[in-house]
Amino acid sequence: MSRKRFHGLKRIVPRFRMTWNKYNLYNLSRLMSPNNGGTYFQQKWKAKAATRAYHGEQIREKQWQRMFTSRLNAVVPMDHRYLGENDGSELAAGRGSGLDERGESQSNLKTPYMQMTYAPTERRLDIAIFRSLFASSARQARQFVTHGHVTVNGKKMPYPGYLLNPGDMFQVEPESVLFATGQMKDKEQVKAGREMKRARRVVNTRRAEKRTAKREKALQAIANKKVAEELAGEPTPKASRPIMADETEARKQRKADLQELVKQVKAILENKKAPPPAKRKQDLREINREIKGTMSVLNRKPVSEIETSIDALISRLANLYPSNLFARIDKKANSKSKPASEIAGEAKSSTQEFTAKEKQKMREAVVLSRENPVDESKPYATPWAPRPYMSAFAFIPRYLEVNHNICSAVYLRHPVARPGLAEVPTPFSAEQLQLAFNWYLRRR
Amino acid sequence: MPPPLRSPSVLSSTPCCAYQLCRTTGQSSRPFSTTPRHDQRVTRARRGLFRWLTAQGENFRNPLSESTNYMGAYDNRVGVLRRVLEQREQIVLDSAERGEASPEKELSAEKSKSLPPETTRDRMPFPLNKAFVSQAVLSEGLRDEIWSRVMREGQSVREVSAQLKVEMSRVGAVVRLKEIEKEWKRIGKPLARPYARAVMSMLPKTPFRPENFVSHESINDLPVHASTGQQIFHPTSESRHFTRLDAAKVFNKRLLPADDRIPHPELVIQHRERVVEELTVQERKERAELRAAEAEEKREKIANKQAQAEARVKKVESDRWEFRFTPINADDAGKDGRGQSGVGWRYGVPLYDRSRGQVKIPTSVG
Repeated sequence: MSRKRFHGLKRIVPRFRMTWNKYNLYNLSRLMSPNNGGTYFQQKWKAKAATRAYHGEQIREKQWQRMFTSRLNAVVPMDHRYLGENDGSELAAGRGSGLDERGESQSNLKTPYMQMTYAPTERRLDIAIFRSLFASSARQARQFVTHGHVTVNGKKMPYPGYLLNPGDMFQVEPESVLFATGQMKDKEQVKAGREMKRARRVVNTRRAEKRTAKREKALQAIANKKVAEELAGEPTPKASRPIMADETEARKQRKADLQELVKQVKAILENKKAPPPAKRKQDLREINREIKGTMSVLNRKPVSEIETSIDALISRLANLYPSNLFARIDKKANSKSKPASEIAGEAKSSTQEFTAKEKQKMREAVVLSRENPVDESKPYATPWAPRPYMSAFAFIPRYLEVNHNICSAVYLRHPVARPGLAEVPTPFSAEQLQLAFNWYLRRR
Repeated sequence: MPPPLRSPSVLSSTPCCAYQLCRTTGQSSRPFSTTPRHDQRVTRARRGLFRWLTAQGENFRNPLSESTNYMGAYDNRVGVLRRVLEQREQIVLDSAERGEASPEKELSAEKSKSLPPETTRDRMPFPLNKAFVSQAVLSEGLRDEIWSRVMREGQSVREVSAQLKVEMSRVGAVVRLKEIEKEWKRIGKPLARPYARAVMSMLPKTPFRPENFVSHESINDLPVHASTGQQIFHPTSESRHFTRLDAAKVFNKRLLPADDRIPHPELVIQHRERVVEELTVQERKERAELRAAEAEEKREKIANKQAQAEARVKKVESDRWEFRFTPINADDAGKDGRGQSGVGWRYGVPLYDRSRGQVKIPTSVG
């Protein structure tokens, strides 16, 4: 959608855009106040073109003309003490303009009305998302909205042109935000991620194949049984009976293993200190179900088959918890790997000379690494780090209240100007914005 | 005849830096292509870009620790923070006043120290626009405090806003967002902690310090009313006690005075009672109770009205939708059938909802 030279370098007066791009930052450093040459029309035209390249360049001109309003919102901060002590008659005292000169006490800051020219665009959902630092450009924010990653008041909102009302809460998927604001993967990481995905796909297809094969086998077995029943003249003695003693022992052992597994899963599920996430809970419950299924066919199926299924279950659990919480079952692996908490505990106990501060630091480092793990499957570089040149663009205007932990924000009110400050983030000077304002004023 | 070979229109004769080299002559996915790669051609503009990125631009690549990092804080020619330059100048001047020749030692000591504290001037992301300043956001501590005051101690939003100097709408939003955060924690949905930490380190913050209180924003903002925009010459008798109330009436008959249009009128009343009227604590308490009772009555009235309006709507639940039936009056369409509140299809009145150019974006989400 974006043009080829979105961040052009050629222009003497460059176009500044709503992005965190480094080209854009360079263009910001080159941005100059326009020299007021040319006719008034030319000045207005240039100012309009330059400011519209930043403010909602994705909005069609007609659309913006419909949004434009000559009424600019402003507020004056009042002091409740002054209002309480005076009823306003002091301003009309004497000859009608107050008794003494109030020049010193009154602040001579002017309200920058002209910086509010593009305030109506700040109401748009896509621009509000960009302002909340959830996307690295207004166009990316727009894409998040159209791709369905954004909800307003808990409902999916696919229109980037939705005008937020005061009190509206918008949420962006944290994964999208992390992708938008995080560093990009380098070539190697992209390759590794791709390989990982490929491997996963292979495993999945294999599993699916196995499942279909099993189903077919079961169907075959049922058919065979039926045929056998039909043929049943003399019931054939079961071949597995003779090695009874050995096998019952094995079955008992397997049953104990399964019970132990159930206990483990239950312990994880009911762990109050570190409850598993919802997705993992589902996985665990599924594993639990499968264990029960295996238990129910414990005495019917051959021992080898049950053993393989138990192994599969253990490996699945181990996959879910790479830190190996199931060391008790997997006795072979017991000596090699230990839970992370145990290792941390050992480190603490073995080094008594650590001060409390150092301990605190270590604890923090452990927490940090747990919150920000290495995961090749993510579309951004892991561990997550902010993308370069982000800090130059990182600000949040006062009309938004943002909670970055949950990637959600509330649009509190429309942006306003107050003495000395305008809330609409704009890189242009008041003169330029006034020219643009006058351009849009002309037919109103 | 084969097509003529094309060559890049600008050939750089000067040796360029390593960064450019790898951009221009690095491994290409199409090594035999003769199409000039316009995007990566070394032009003067691109040279300028990379020169800037390796010099001044390097400051912005990574965030500063515990400080904002905006372009307005830097001297664009030197590429050093203005406050650092000023501090260095101050050190040189001080040492000259003391009669020392070489301030190098102090300068080097200053370099190793942390940055001087930032001021409002350093919080301008856009150097040309001095009217836009990156204002402070609520720190995590302050947000937790707001949440606990509202949800744990049960204070009203108005009280918390007046005490902590945070707008009422912001207090409400903070509590709402915090509740969602807690819910996410409860159900185990992962939070974007590394992102939040990084962003908060880049932004200016209002800390919560009970002993050294910092105001976050002005809570009594008077919106500028459109009808006050005009200048009025209003002749009146000299002896008249002309107050804010009268002034408001002059601007617009229905305009309320500033005392009633600010978000916290109760602060004005409390101050007047305490300082101007000098009432005792008992009297003030009685008055406050009276006011609270009045406000409660008003609120009840509004709630009753809402409840009645809601009771009029008949709701029918289905497995997918909730149908809401509102009673209508066929006479609302009026005598000519074109009344604003008329419902349904009426003869001769066009329905535009399916025609071209109708905006279907919802205007509010419930």
